[in-house]
Amino acid sequence: MSSLIWYIYEFARKTWIDGFFDAKSKEDIAHKPDRFRDFPNVIKENCIGCGSCTASCPSPNAIKLVRDSDNEESTGLIFPVINKSACIRCGFCAEVCPSTPKTLECGENHFIREEFNIIPSKRKYIVDDYLCIRCKKCMDACEVGAIEEIDDRLVVNQSKCISCGKCLETCPVKGAMRGVFVNNLEEQKKIINLTVNTLEKYIESKQDDLIQLGTDKLFLDELKFKPIFDESLTILNDEEVVHEVLEDAINRLKIRIITWDGDNCKKCQMCIPDCPTGAISFDSDNDTIVRDKEKCLRCSICYQTCPFGVIKYFLAKFNLDTNDNDEEVIHISVKASQLAERRA
Amino acid sequence: MILPIGPIHPGLKEPLRLKLQTQGEKVIKAEIDYGYVHRGIEKIMEGKTWQKCIYLSERICGICSYEHTQTFAETLEIISGVQAPLRAQYLRVITNELDRIQSHLLANSTFFKTLDHETLFMHVLALREYAMDSLELLTGNRVNLGWNVVGGVRMDADERHFNAILENLKKIEDGFDRHVALFEEAPIVALRAKGVGVMTKEEAIKGHAVGPIGRASGLKHDLREEHYTYMDEFDFKPIWRKEGDNYARTLNRLYEVEQSIDLIKQAIENMPKGDIRTPVDIPSGYGEWRNEAPRGEVRYMAETNGDLIKRISIRTPSIMNIDSCARYMLKDVATVADAVSTYASSDPCIACTERVAITDIDTGKSAVKDFFEVK
Amino acid sequence: MLKKLKDIVRKSSIHVCIVNCGGCNGCDVELVALLSPRYDLEQYGIYVHNNPREADVLLVTGAVTEQWRDNLRRIYAKTPEPKIVVAVGNCPQSGDVFAQEGGRVLAPVSDFIPVDAAIPGCPPRPSEILEAVLTVAPGALAAKGRAQDARKD
Repeated sequence: MSSLIWYIYEFARKTWIDGFFDAKSKEDIAHKPDRFRDFPNVIKENCIGCGSCTASCPSPNAIKLVRDSDNEESTGLIFPVINKSACIRCGFCAEVCPSTPKTLECGENHFIREEFNIIPSKRKYIVDDYLCIRCKKCMDACEVGAIEEIDDRLVVNQSKCISCGKCLETCPVKGAMRGVFVNNLEEQKKIINLTVNTLEKYIESKQDDLIQLGTDKLFLDELKFKPIFDESLTILNDEEVVHEVLEDAINRLKIRIITWDGDNCKKCQMCIPDCPTGAISFDSDNDTIVRDKEKCLRCSICYQTCPFGVIKYFLAKFNLDTNDNDEEVIHISVKASQLAERRA
Repeated sequence: MILPIGPIHPGLKEPLRLKLQTQGEKVIKAEIDYGYVHRGIEKIMEGKTWQKCIYLSERICGICSYEHTQTFAETLEIISGVQAPLRAQYLRVITNELDRIQSHLLANSTFFKTLDHETLFMHVLALREYAMDSLELLTGNRVNLGWNVVGGVRMDADERHFNAILENLKKIEDGFDRHVALFEEAPIVALRAKGVGVMTKEEAIKGHAVGPIGRASGLKHDLREEHYTYMDEFDFKPIWRKEGDNYARTLNRLYEVEQSIDLIKQAIENMPKGDIRTPVDIPSGYGEWRNEAPRGEVRYMAETNGDLIKRISIRTPSIMNIDSCARYMLKDVATVADAVSTYASSDPCIACTERVAITDIDTGKSAVKDFFEVK
Repeated sequence: MLKKLKDIVRKSSIHVCIVNCGGCNGCDVELVALLSPRYDLEQYGIYVHNNPREADVLLVTGAVTEQWRDNLRRIYAKTPEPKIVVAVGNCPQSGDVFAQEGGRVLAPVSDFIPVDAAIPGCPPRPSEILEAVLTVAPGALAAKGRAQDARKD
């Protein structure tokens, strides 16, 4: 009996009746704590357009940098746009954003300001002190003040650098500011060795053509880039890095070639004592001059010494370019050295 | 006859196909079809910087997402030779144990659901919400926490957070006493769970069972014993049982929740002051680290190339547990309904499991094979 | 009169089936959390079913893996009309972090079956899912039901 009364008492209460007829979830289910990382909030005006948010985002389609169209007063603003259907709400973009105040706000993550660099980057920006002309244009271009002047030298502070690459664009001297790939140094070395060896072998195979070449003529040739590129990719599987390393190596490469026309040789042996490495020797059994290619430095002293023009000396230069079919090719130009002319 | 269960919802929300060989109502043998959620996350991680990979490692598994980030971070800390500051280690312990609480409560509530014990299912799931609240308050998200970074944790916590967590833990403890009593004393769960799906110690060793599933069968093995933070700073002893049936597995998980609450209290009480993050410079190298996830041992083997991840291999606990479930627990189960609840009691997490696809070079066909076949 | 009654019934009793077609499981956990007394999905007349043949709403999570290529279409075909599909989380919408080099996913889901609504987030909070399902599902179901009735007449 008592339980029945209890039931009536329990169910007759107003709150119970209210709850029964108006069943709703309580409001606190929609309450989000302060730290809740919602989709990042973008404040356009603060953006410096460095792109560290896009570089750091783990989701491939989540952040895009866009630019407003220009109007009469000013150029358009650059700012990030968040794609909500790809954003994973990790808040990493707000954490790495280097602008003050931050462009991206997300939970409490935009309060994080680490003293050390956390932006993922393949490149490390360094100043080549030998080439730098100290114009300090990069210091003005740097949005985060990462380039400092220490003892009259410009130095990039790696813990502040956000790897945006603006200094590289403004630098007037080619090569003074450089973005180098700090990882995979061994692989990069291998790729450069491979390129040099391949190109050298190719030129050596053209020796017959070179001997016929006149002193003021150019020997032009093309070599396909694709096979070298593909072979390099087997060493290091990163197209961006490989392409840049190859381009750098090819454009800078100069190969000196020495040809030896044995028929004209009068065996005067003048070249033998002049050779700094002892690469040239006289083979008395066969009565010939022998040149050891492995030892040869290609210093051209023998070419300058030889009175009969047996030895010829060429310079080969390379340039990576696209041809008419939009294929990448290596342009090779070889010309005879002018040293002999000058001597005469 | 062969009775297929799944791939949609074989007792849980995740897709997997159970093929039960039945004789009348009795289940004699079970076979498991994998491969419904293979996404190739290890391959995605290759060639990415560690800053990104830690968010990718979270998305291996949604239930125990935290432990993956911690193991990833600790693997890279091993490679770089830097250890996280002590305060960060304590904060990691708090988050880890909160994650364990919510995972165990979810696993148990799923088990009660498969027993059709709706009351306990609802009560346990309601308790889990307090753990989720604490996680959200502390880290900023409910599931994919984004809390760990290599060299520490992302944000500091203060008194406000600790008090809120303690309050939530109090609520879990209160409810716990009531509901565990409901579970331990009332005959209805014991009738369906005691002596069902028994796995002996020998079978557990043969099937490489880990975590609470192995511990319920008498394997006294908890990797938290070997972890440096737990070893030096905490008072910790693994919980284990001998029976090896569904009841033991469920009870083992419930007591581990109690233990986790105790560990969090210890951590908050002794919380040291100091930094929460150190800079790390990751060289090229190889490192591996094991940790106790809610479901057992998770192991990361990573090879780095500077800041980039060259190759990563992850071993998660669920694959051993699901396989030992199919081999040893699901033989001679009295009814099909018991088979489903046995499967749920082994706490399978399929999203963890499926990362390996084996391609037959001759035919070009690829399939996700089970652990024993690969071995 | 009958039509109105049908509308009311369709709006107030919604059966939901969760289809995980290859995600990280996070969204599914949040959907399970919706069943808990705090969110209590069932008070809104939504019942979580595990059978696509009885469902009105398919809640699709996950980024469509290889094995789901055909199965997803089959599940959709088996669901009775009127039916709507709600994509929960980012995976079914864009593939999330899996839609990059090395991943083996075929996202988005809309390539396979028509999607009526999408809830962004990785994973979305239970309250967000609840809000979205409640705003979209009853109206869309009623509208689809009417269109189906009109076709029959």
